[in-house]
Amino acid sequence: MTRARSIGMGIVHLWPIALLLLSWDAWVVLNGYTSTVAPRPWFVIADVFTGFADYVPSILYTLGMALGGLVGGTLIGFVGAVLVWWSAALSGVVTPAALIIRSVPITALIPIIARIVGYGDPAVLASTMLICFFPAFVFTLSGLAAIPEAGRDLFTVLGANKLQVLSRLGVLYALPNLMVSVRITAPSAVLAAMLAEFLMGTSGLGALFSQARSYMDMERSWGTALVATVVSVLVFVGAQLMERRVESRLT
Amino acid sequence: MSSTATLTPMETKPAEHATRTAVSVNRADKIFTLSRGKKLQALAEVDLEVREGEFVAIIGPSGCGKSTVLRLAAGLDRPTNGTVEIFGAAPHELATQHRLGVAFQEHALLPWASVRSNIALPYKVAGRKVDDARVDGLIELVGLKGFEKARPKQLSGGMRQRVSIARALALSPDLLLLDEPFGALDAVTRRRMNAELARIWGEEKITTILVTHDVDEALILADRVVVMTGRPGRVRTIKNVDFPRPRDAATTRSPEFHELVDELTSLLDANDGDAA
Amino acid sequence: MNTPTRTSVKVAYSLAGGALLILAAQLIGQFGLAGRAWPPVMDVVSYVTTPAGASLLWRNTLVTFSSAAQGFLLGAVIAVLGAALALVVPIIRPGMDRFAAILHAVPTIALAPLLITTVGREDAPAVIAALSVGFVMFVTMASGFANTSSAHQDLFTVIGANRTRRLARLELPRAVPAFFDGLTLSAPAAILGATIGEWFGAPMGLGLVIVSAMQNYQMALLWAAAMAATIMSLLAYLVFIQLQRVAMRRFT
Ligand SMILES: Nc1ncnc2c1ncn2[C@@H]1O[C@H](COP(=O)(O)OP(=O)(O)OP(=O)(O)O)[C@@H](O)[C@H]1O
Ligand SMILES: [Mg+2]
Repeated sequence: MTRARSIGMGIVHLWPIALLLLSWDAWVVLNGYTSTVAPRPWFVIADVFTGFADYVPSILYTLGMALGGLVGGTLIGFVGAVLVWWSAALSGVVTPAALIIRSVPITALIPIIARIVGYGDPAVLASTMLICFFPAFVFTLSGLAAIPEAGRDLFTVLGANKLQVLSRLGVLYALPNLMVSVRITAPSAVLAAMLAEFLMGTSGLGALFSQARSYMDMERSWGTALVATVVSVLVFVGAQLMERRVESRLT
Repeated sequence: MSSTATLTPMETKPAEHATRTAVSVNRADKIFTLSRGKKLQALAEVDLEVREGEFVAIIGPSGCGKSTVLRLAAGLDRPTNGTVEIFGAAPHELATQHRLGVAFQEHALLPWASVRSNIALPYKVAGRKVDDARVDGLIELVGLKGFEKARPKQLSGGMRQRVSIARALALSPDLLLLDEPFGALDAVTRRRMNAELARIWGEEKITTILVTHDVDEALILADRVVVMTGRPGRVRTIKNVDFPRPRDAATTRSPEFHELVDELTSLLDANDGDAA
Repeated sequence: MNTPTRTSVKVAYSLAGGALLILAAQLIGQFGLAGRAWPPVMDVVSYVTTPAGASLLWRNTLVTFSSAAQGFLLGAVIAVLGAALALVVPIIRPGMDRFAAILHAVPTIALAPLLITTVGREDAPAVIAALSVGFVMFVTMASGFANTSSAHQDLFTVIGANRTRRLARLELPRAVPAFFDGLTLSAPAAILGATIGEWFGAPMGLGLVIVSAMQNYQMALLWAAAMAATIMSLLAYLVFIQLQRVAMRRFT
């Protein structure tokens, strides 16, 4: 009974979305817009459901690119952070690079990657990976930096080498941070994939969006936006669940 | 339950010329609901009556519910059973009329405000013009002259407590609630602050309830001392303190004083026997 | 091992690291290790120093800056008001929290069609910037407001504070560090949002320059514009991180 109640409350708390849909509809109707200017929400939703088969390949492509970039970028960031943690000399040089990379807007990065790697899947994947790399790197490094001296001393007394310290202690301290980074970057990965797809127009939701816009197919174009939002929210929620799982495991 | 626990304040004669009732707590229970539906009874049938202008001290072992009694009187919590009235009205009304002064156990100073602004806060919140002369007087009173512009994190724990006492006094409240206000002070400063508080109270006759662990402090300051027992908190006994004021070093050295200290201390110790 | 020497060692390391990075970028370009799309740094610099290049970059940087700044202000103000409203009217709070979380996850590019029909091509960059900033600010402010201290709340209850005075004297000052945290996080978001908005047919701006340089294979211009956007974002970040440190010191 309490479970049904909490689900009920969960639905009630979605009121801003209902409000948004209703005001969107009212805005279209009151301004008397035709569907080539702005479609009504119900037609967009209908297009998503009836034409769902058309969306599926794009969804899978974008989802694959985003998840691939998320996993790849996070792993590279993790390994990079461990290397830097290992060597004191490296860490001095990495700080300015980190500061600069953090400030590059994706919109400036993607065109350069597209030119260097060439239009196509590798460029999309490289874009999402670069977006996810940096937060993973920073969060892992701060996790490793938080290993308390006492813990390290204990391991040294026990005669452990650096690899053992890393596998026993480092993982314990770095993994929760790494999961925070995954949650934070998950929506950015979807955004980066879509921006790259939009710019290069090859495949995926970004490309579908770009095509629908050039054919003035408003329902499809808004439908793509809707689907992309749902995909991004799902990726985010998934990352959040995973973060909680890892956290409850480790603490 | 010990026989003395049923003593009510009525049985002990109130001090001197008694006037209106300021605080009246009637058979108050406080039961906290903890996680997973577990319950904790903090207070059981607490009766307490404080007359206007009276100074009452509450002593008792840690965790016996002293702070909880003050929170009931301040209107921050409601009793689970029983009633609490302040000047014949609901406790929170005194707060909304800005007639209540409280110094909390954890002093609750605003970290972004200077000593001066912290003390002047009650004026601003009440929407009144800050009485600069009074704020200066309070700063001097609590011995923080020269620290007006300092911020709480630049002060020691004892200095922060003194700021919080000054803030409680700012609006000359009708009821003053002090929760271990001198807990972080060394013995010498503590006695000096005791003397200052006794002097202010002598001048302004603010009805005061003081929670303390220090039996000597209770006897130096209070007209009556309430001894509480732990888990659930009950009023074990109430003692009249009839030493003449001002109570100086001569008072604290007198054999009567020591006798009372020993008696109250043994009452506190006896609580352990009750609990076992 | 006193702090001044440690900071100066850090700065020296960072300067050396920065120089090393520039050198590496120059060498990669010079030897064509990354193909024609990675020009030597000196080429980019010499492009920026030509009068035509400088004026093109400067004008477009200003346009992007002004969209980003407008969006930044608008988004921050609306988000702070929204979070304060959710604080004062607790019943709308869970709904607004969830809505913000969803909006936070929305890929900004998906908002483009909506914005182009509502506010038009020219204002879309500022509005997208405002939306990106707004989500970040709302989330940080809401958590800043939620991070209350019960001792302070009790204090304001016993001194009889009404709702407005509690907000003005306790909850707002207490949330100031969170506010600057939010600004630090949203400064890059504003610039990203503005450049995304410029991809959708804005008449001017760095986002537009970047895309057209990419399509026309003008590598020096592409890199120069990307650098301009990066420097703008970096400067905004550095300014706000300083403000945030000051706020942290002042308000806790
Ligand atoms: N908000 C609360 N929720 C649950 N339990 C509480 C709460 N406040 C107090 N208690 C419990 O009530 C009992 C009495 O607490 P109270 O703070 O009144 O003790 P105290 O006598 O002031 O102790 P001390 O001398 O250590 O300050 C304690 O057992 C405490 O754990
Ligand atoms: Mg207490």
